[in-house]
Amino acid sequence: MFDYLANPTRFMRLADLLIVPMAALAALLLAAGLYLGLLASPTDYQQGDTVRIMYVHVPAAWLATLGYVALGLCGLFYIVWRHPLADIALRAMAPVGALFAFLTLVTGALWGKPMWGAWWVWDARLTSMLILFFFYIAVIALANAFDTPERGSRPAAILALVGLVNVPIVKFSVDWWNTLHQPASLVRSGGVSIDPAMLTPLLLMLAGTHLFFAVVVILRMKALLAERRIAALQLRGTTGEAG
Amino acid sequence: MNILFAQMRRDLALIWAGRGEAAVMLAFFLIIITLFPLAIGPDVATLRPMALPVIWIAALLASLAGFSRIFAEDVRSGWVDQVALSPLPLGIYALSKAVTHWLAGGLPMLLATPVLALMLYVDLESLAPLILALTIGTMALTLLGVLAAALGEGARNGGSLMALLVLPLAVPVLIFGTLASTPDDGGLLSPHMLLLMAVLAVLLAIVPVAAAAALVEAETDSS
Repeated sequence: MFDYLANPTRFMRLADLLIVPMAALAALLLAAGLYLGLLASPTDYQQGDTVRIMYVHVPAAWLATLGYVALGLCGLFYIVWRHPLADIALRAMAPVGALFAFLTLVTGALWGKPMWGAWWVWDARLTSMLILFFFYIAVIALANAFDTPERGSRPAAILALVGLVNVPIVKFSVDWWNTLHQPASLVRSGGVSIDPAMLTPLLLMLAGTHLFFAVVVILRMKALLAERRIAALQLRGTTGEAG
Repeated sequence: MNILFAQMRRDLALIWAGRGEAAVMLAFFLIIITLFPLAIGPDVATLRPMALPVIWIAALLASLAGFSRIFAEDVRSGWVDQVALSPLPLGIYALSKAVTHWLAGGLPMLLATPVLALMLYVDLESLAPLILALTIGTMALTLLGVLAAALGEGARNGGSLMALLVLPLAVPVLIFGTLASTPDDGGLLSPHMLLLMAVLAVLLAIVPVAAAAALVEAETDSS
């Protein structure tokens, strides 16, 4: 599978084949999830309508976390097997993951204001998501920090891989810091199990956003591949004229 | 082993020759600490609880100032190419860079810390945990700086990139460091101190490998 996809042309062909059905399915799932979540599901007896923010917040948080793991795996594939698509995938994924981390923070703040009475609380989960967002920014900045774009691939891959080891340590330390400074957390851990009327839209949204993530990443990969091709063709054109 | 000592002796000689640069880091550390009372006010009651965090933040920011140039001269002059050809592994070379950089940047800061701590009204009893934690912490920060410098070598805006790379990774050092500086029972080897040491141990394992992998790229790029 990996060897097969190592050829960008094959990847492009496969991507072209898959992208439309995937996008259609994502749209369908998101539409159903949003309808059920925002309109047809019951309100929470404590949180009222603000519970509906959860249908966006939870999938975004999942994707932000999952995206970072995927980023680290891309780094691994790039460094160990020099897989040509791993670099493209890493560059394609990082901004999308950062966006979902940002979305998690924004929806969290919107939910926090009416529920906790504050836009921001220095809770362990919020803080580690914020730091995860900074990590994404660091990877993006490093990948694009060099005059020749390809030069940034290896440093970014190494950083993503180091982050894969380090993010759990950061998470652990932030948890530790929080448990000492703020023992009564506002987030209910465990708490009430979710009612099926709320679980169904949440699962639909989860499936839909994950597919959406995949579609956007594939589209970005296609764009990046095309960009590289143009650069290569331009280079060939200029050297051709010179010689 | 001889070649490692030769490498470190060379770096120390170079640092000594350009000791103004190391002095700038120390001056930066002093100035940041001076700025806090100016912004917060000279009140003992407000300053004392902020003293340890202020020292930690100042140490973090002052270390950042020195990182971006760690490998620059060696890559430019072709020294890294020579190391790559020599029996000295690039990872060990990166580690020796961390040691010499810490001796030039971290150690002077540590020596200045007791005086600064007294200026911020820190109790004499809590000085020992602070110094120990800061020793381990600055070592860990230097390792992170070496990693960031290796990753960002040859980048366009080295300085601000260092801050972006180091600060998120430095979160555990900052958290365990500040907690270890104020142990609940007053003991020196608090759980946080041990965790801080564990962070240093993990970095000691990761950084040489990752920095070496990054330096290979920087070295081939420059030649």
